[in-house]
Amino acid sequence: MSKPFTLDELLAIVVAKEINDYENVVLGVGVPMTAGALAKALFAPHATLMMESGIVDIRPLLSLNNIADAHSCRGFSYATDLFSAFTMTYRGFVDVCFLGVGQVDKYGNLNTTVIGDYEKPDLRLPGSGGAADFMSYSKRTVLTMRGGTFVNKLDYFTSPGYLEGGDSRDKTGLFPKGSGPAALISTKGVFRFDPMTKEMYLSQIYPGVKLESIKKDIPWDLKVASDLSVTPRPTDEEIDFIRDFAPELSAGRELAVELRNAYIKKKADLRSGKNA
Amino acid sequence: MGEVTGKVMSAGEAVERFVHDGNELVIGNYTVGSCAELVYEITRQGKKGFTLYSQSGIFDVEVLVAGGCVDRLVTTYVMRSGGKKGGSAVERALNAGTLKIEDYTNFDYNARLVAGMHGFSFIQVLEGVMVTDLFRKRGFMGENKFRVVKCPYTGKNLLTVPAATPDVCIIHVQRADKFGNAQYWGAMGSVAAAALASKRIIVSCEEIVDHDVIQSSPHLTIIPAYRVNAVVEVPWGAHPTEVLGYYNVDNLMYNGLFVSAAATADGLKAWMDEWVYGCPDRASYIDHYIGKFGSAALDELRAKPFYSAPANYGSAFTSHWDREGKERSMGVTLPELEKLLQERGKSYE
Repeated sequence: MSKPFTLDELLAIVVAKEINDYENVVLGVGVPMTAGALAKALFAPHATLMMESGIVDIRPLLSLNNIADAHSCRGFSYATDLFSAFTMTYRGFVDVCFLGVGQVDKYGNLNTTVIGDYEKPDLRLPGSGGAADFMSYSKRTVLTMRGGTFVNKLDYFTSPGYLEGGDSRDKTGLFPKGSGPAALISTKGVFRFDPMTKEMYLSQIYPGVKLESIKKDIPWDLKVASDLSVTPRPTDEEIDFIRDFAPELSAGRELAVELRNAYIKKKADLRSGKNA
Repeated sequence: MGEVTGKVMSAGEAVERFVHDGNELVIGNYTVGSCAELVYEITRQGKKGFTLYSQSGIFDVEVLVAGGCVDRLVTTYVMRSGGKKGGSAVERALNAGTLKIEDYTNFDYNARLVAGMHGFSFIQVLEGVMVTDLFRKRGFMGENKFRVVKCPYTGKNLLTVPAATPDVCIIHVQRADKFGNAQYWGAMGSVAAAALASKRIIVSCEEIVDHDVIQSSPHLTIIPAYRVNAVVEVPWGAHPTEVLGYYNVDNLMYNGLFVSAAATADGLKAWMDEWVYGCPDRASYIDHYIGKFGSAALDELRAKPFYSAPANYGSAFTSHWDREGKERSMGVTLPELEKLLQERGKSYE
């Protein structure tokens, strides 16, 4: 049996497998960047990874903080700008994009703007950034979910999934036929969308995760695939790649922040001790 | 470009002369390499009443908003310090009613500046957002946030946004010459459009280089000298964000000190008292940093070189006249040509 893994690591590994070789891929902030690097290293060597800051065919050296990170700017192939990164998506040259989730509803519509009232927010989230346009025009979208919530109604509708389900997305005439979310990947399992109703259902569950622990996060009666499978354990090679490339992802958000803050304090204390 | 133009000045002078209360101000940088020193100087000078344009409102927007400089924010992405539990200056200002916000997508925001840059009054954007609250929810721009027009060629409904032409752009780049030719490379983002759409441009740079350097690499120039009002040389001018080829993001200052501070109003105020108001300029900020954390903490952020292959800008000839003084296509010398012009009656005394 392969070595023990964390659910954050498994999330990144499962996300990476959504990338096929030779595809053009737009990566969003966070897990997708690490997943993209993993895919490029192990599964999809000819994929073209790009980010909306206009860097195309990147080879990230280590896990990235943002969409223009210096560690993604060494040895890329095409330096275009943000405007063209989106118009190339609009014209249909992007196969798959990856987006993080704040709130998501059963048809894969997203809110990454605000929780509560728009003008007087309970939580002001980052906003659309590139999400709404990428989700509109990428041939397919993969949603990644590390801290977000499932809701019946979004507080703010930022990015279009399957709208009201069924053929409602295609019927608007605003989007490429067949586009929309292909999967939602959380730290508990993989959700896909019914081809007819476009409602999200549970397709795979991670090893060691109970169905009840998934259902309790979801306010509607979640449909479960009749052939629900357990996600295969990651291989040592996959786990080793993540730990080397993105150790803070392996640590998980809470532990990483705790360790980082302690280390900063130690450095500052050492220094002030020296000065005294 | 003969004369020294007098554009080289301190951040203090540039902000005093070119940034005014009530201006539409745009932060030209996108996510990385933010013009930190110009932002701090604007905050120190207590400028106010801005309509601020920011493509990706990270710590720069937080500082300006917490400094009380901003009334209205046009943006696509704002920072949220400390995840779900932490707040942000933007969130606190929205709740206090001191800030109004207009949300766009990255493309829509950038498109407004691209339209402004080219002198158009509006521009077509991607129509998918028409089904979302980005289109439906209007902030202070009201009806003018988006308008739908009919394409005169296809008859289809097109979504449009109005041009933006901010009063002043502040921007940090890797290098510039004293005339203002500004060079920037790496993730191009929306940097050039933000600057070129604006009426005035303040460029800060890691270093001022000779004009020769610019002339040997003109493809790196994103803003031409004639558009620039001020050139400010500020090493570490984007710290704690990164500048490709110069230094990395400083996790100690950024994720460590700043992000945890920004989660609360008091925390951010204390951080700004120390690092913004407490340091009159970038040199004293860096001194303070070194005093507190040691110069090794800065040194370890310095970029290891990875140079671009030089591109050959050479041509076969540098003159029409060959080594014998003959014109290359007509085969005559200049005196011979002048004699011929005289003989044919084409030369006038």
